[in-house]
Formats: sequence, structure tokens, C-alpha cells
Amino acid sequence: MSPFPSPTAEILVTRAPAPTPRRSLRSRLTERGRRREQAGPDRAILVLHDVTKQYPNGKIALRDVDLVIPEGDFVFLVGPSGAGKSTLIKLLIRDEVATRGEVVLDGQDLARLGRRAVPKIRRKIGIIFQDFKLLPTKSVWENVAFAMDVTGTPRRQIRPAVDRVLAIVGLTAQAKQIPSQLSGGEQQRTAIARALVHDPRLIIADEPTGNLDPLISWEILQLLLRINELGVTVLMATHNAEVVTALRKRVVALEEGRVIRDEVGGAYHRED
Amino acid sequence: MITFLFFSIRRAWQGFWRNALMSFAATATMVLMLLLLSGFWIIQTGLLAGLEFTEQKVEVIAYIQPNATDSQVEALTARMDAMPQVDTVTYVSRAEALERFRASMEEQGREDLTQFLESNPLFASVEITLIDPTAIREVGDALRQDMAVRNVINIEDLVERVLTVTNILRTGGTVLLIVIGVIVLFIIVNTIRLAVFARSEEIEIMRLVGASDAFIRWPFVFEGAFVGFLGAALTLAILAAAADPISGFMVEFFRVLPLEVGSLARDLITLVMGAGVGLGILGSWLSVRTYLIR
Repeated sequence: MSPFPSPTAEILVTRAPAPTPRRSLRSRLTERGRRREQAGPDRAILVLHDVTKQYPNGKIALRDVDLVIPEGDFVFLVGPSGAGKSTLIKLLIRDEVATRGEVVLDGQDLARLGRRAVPKIRRKIGIIFQDFKLLPTKSVWENVAFAMDVTGTPRRQIRPAVDRVLAIVGLTAQAKQIPSQLSGGEQQRTAIARALVHDPRLIIADEPTGNLDPLISWEILQLLLRINELGVTVLMATHNAEVVTALRKRVVALEEGRVIRDEVGGAYHRED
Repeated sequence: MITFLFFSIRRAWQGFWRNALMSFAATATMVLMLLLLSGFWIIQTGLLAGLEFTEQKVEVIAYIQPNATDSQVEALTARMDAMPQVDTVTYVSRAEALERFRASMEEQGREDLTQFLESNPLFASVEITLIDPTAIREVGDALRQDMAVRNVINIEDLVERVLTVTNILRTGGTVLLIVIGVIVLFIIVNTIRLAVFARSEEIEIMRLVGASDAFIRWPFVFEGAFVGFLGAALTLAILAAAADPISGFMVEFFRVLPLEVGSLARDLITLVMGAGVGLGILGSWLSVRTYLIR
């Protein structure tokens, strides 16, 4: 890597051409090997280029958003309610499609994705919500296994994978309990385990500590940081100023649909 | 493919039992609606059979001139037999007519006064049954033109009035059955929609973790089919238990002797199973679709 990477070099790397169909397994494997070599800190998992989102009712939720998130990064997405955070997340999981501009996730332009390819790209993303979104009638273990079961994973692969992620989030002992028997923190850890079970490249956390008290919030943050250390990129939308300011990670601030600040080692509020 | 089928059926089974309350509510609605549908269908079938039976009784009777020769009568019956609208032609001689009269008098317990007569006052007749009762006027006219015919009993107006009534009943019954069918369709589809709506969060989670549309849809479709099958089976069990009183009622009310219970039961099983399973599948398909199209 050149010691002075030009801005275009980054885009060249991040805009990898979409995989062409009908290539041999071998060529795909060598390509993957080459990509892994390139997977330095500069390789982007996510690129937003001039993204604008206008809803059918005319409301413009995002305006000309440019954002590059390198693989392995930890990014806080901050901003007041209605700033466009939720819309941004919806674009990333392809629940919505950008009106203008490109959203490229792991080299794939989401707007050009066919219906059938959408579920596959979602398996590269683990998503965590403020309200956990656990199934109340299923145990912790079943909630995590559910994510693999409904994506057609053979059952013999499910057990070791679920056991592994439950160990990562520290819920092995609670595996048989149902969500209502768990604390809020444990429920969120279950959701994190579910997000991890597909071995995602990117974790998107939408206000993951919004329903939790400060101590538990720190616990969840610790867990997300550890997952980040394992090499998973984390994008966390939050209102939790204390956490953002204390951790000094990259902070992307949205306001009225625009990125008004993007600084590495930033605080929750602008520090001028 | 086999794995997918196995997956869908397993998930459908789980879905049914884990949401037992909703599943049973849907099944109960299904049973009530299918009972309603099959009830009206049974009545409609009985009505149709009854009407047909009544219409088959329509008969044209032509009295023969007393001086008609045997060959004239033979020519008449042959000509009538050849008409496409005619089902059967029966010649009743004067002697037979007298015998019938005496038999009916005896049946009614009245004194037979014909024994005091010197000669047989009755006319010979030709009794004609029709394939299609609407042809009565044509057949009547054809008979009147024949030289051997003395007179034809004029029941055309009466028959036409009866046919108007039976046609109204037939159309009315069909319309009612269709209306009931549409009502049943909407109620069942809506009940399943509610049951699926109660699990919209499950569908949302499935989408978020990257389940393909097929993996979301088919378990629900199988579950709908299962609810439909169960509902239909329960309905048929109830109908089977009530079969004796129902057929008793049918025979009593419609006086339908030619109705075959075997074919009625077979049609009913097809109807109830088809409607149950079909509506279960349709309901689930439509309900899940609203969550998949985005």
C-alpha cells in the first residue's frame, strides 16, 4: 500500500466490480484470496455515494449523503430524532431503496440487487434493535437458532454455531430460558447473539442501549467492542452521549438528512 | 427441495401448536363457515332434486277417439315416440282405464259404482312423459292434430306456471349459495389474516435475518392448509354424526326418493375438503404476501 493513498485509490478498492455470473469455483477462491490480502484498514465494507432518499409522501429523509466505512471500523451514528438515522439503516438492510445515489455493501450495489439476492445480502448484516425483537415463545437458544433455521441452514450446523455465539455473549447458562425470564441486558445479548450467528461482516445496532440502564448499557457496549475486535464492523446509531463521548470512536452526525460532521475520535456533541 | 419441504412442514406444525389459541380460533371459524356452506349446499341439492322430481311428474294425457282403429293408435304412439322431447309413451286401453279407476276408488274406500254400468264409459288414452317439461306445448299441439285423438287435457298453463316457480327457486338457491360462498371466503381469509397478523413480528424477524421469501411463505401456506384440513375433517365428522337426521329430514321435506346418498356424500366431502384446504392456502398466501411485497 502506498504511504500516500490518493482518494481515488480508495474508491477503486471499494467499488469492486459486481461479481460476474458463471465463474469457476477456483477463480472465485483466488479472487477471495486476493480480496483478503487487500482487506487492510482501507477496504470499505460500506460505501454511500451521493445518497438521497425521498419517501413517496414527498418527505426527503436523506440528502446527498457520502459515507465510507472501512472494514473493521466502529462508527457511532448520532443525531436528533428525525435526522435520518432510521432511514439510513433501512437503506443498508435494503428495506428501502435510495431515490438517488449508490449504496454499496461489500461490493454490491443494493439498488441493482434482484429480489432473490436481498435475503443473501441481509445475512452479511447482523441487526440489533432497541426493542430486541425476540420471539417471546422461544427460548434464548431457539431465538438464536431461528435465524439459521429460517435461512435453510442444515440442522447439524446450527447447534455448534448457536453454542459458539451464546458463549461469546455469555448466555450459555441461560440458553433454555425464554425472553420474559431474562433481564433487559440479557435480552439484548440474545439479540446480539442472533445477529452474530450468520458470521456477519457488519453489525448494525439501532439504539441498542435505548431501553437499558447505564450500567447494562456499558455491558452491551463492551460486548460490541469485543465483537469489533474480532474483526466485525459495527455501526451503532445512538442518543447515548455519555458512551459516545467516552469511547472516542468515529462519529457521524446527521441532521435534517445531511451528514454535518464525520470525525474520528469525536464526541457526541461538536467540540469547537 | 425435500429438505425445504420438510422444513416448511415442520415449521408449519410448530407454528400451529405454538400459537394454539389463534390456530384453534381459525379452525373453529373454519368449521362454522364450512358447516354453513355445506348446510346450504345440502338444502340446494335437495331443492334441485325435488324440483326435478316434480318436473318429471309432468305428463301429457291424450284421450283416444272411441272409434279409432288399432292401426291409428299404433301410428300415433309410434309418432309420439319418435319426438325427441318425449321420454315414454304408454297406451292405456279402455279396460285398463276402468281397472285403474276401480282400484283408485277402492283405495279411497269408496263404493265402486261402475259395476252398475252396462258398458265401459271411459276412453282409452295415451300417457306421455317428457324429457324436458318445457316442451309440453309442442307435444300437446302435435297430439291435438292427430285424428285419433279425442282431446288433450289442457295443463300447459299450469305446467308453465309451475316451471316459472321452479326456475325462480333454482336461480334463487344458486344465488344464495354463491352469496354464502363469498361470505365464507371473506370470513375465512380474514380470520387467517388476523392469525398471520398476530405473527407479523416473527415475519419481520425472518426478513431481517435474511430468510428468503419462500422460507417465509411456505410454512404459513402449509399451516393454512393444515388448518383448512383440520376444519374440513371436523366439519365432515359433525356432518357424519348428523347424517341420519339430515337424510331423514331431506326425505321428509323434499320427498326426494331418487337422491343418491352415496354420491351426495362424495360431493360433500369434495366440497368441504376443497373449500377448507383451498381457502386455508389462499388465506395464508394472501396474508403473507402483504408482508413480503415491499
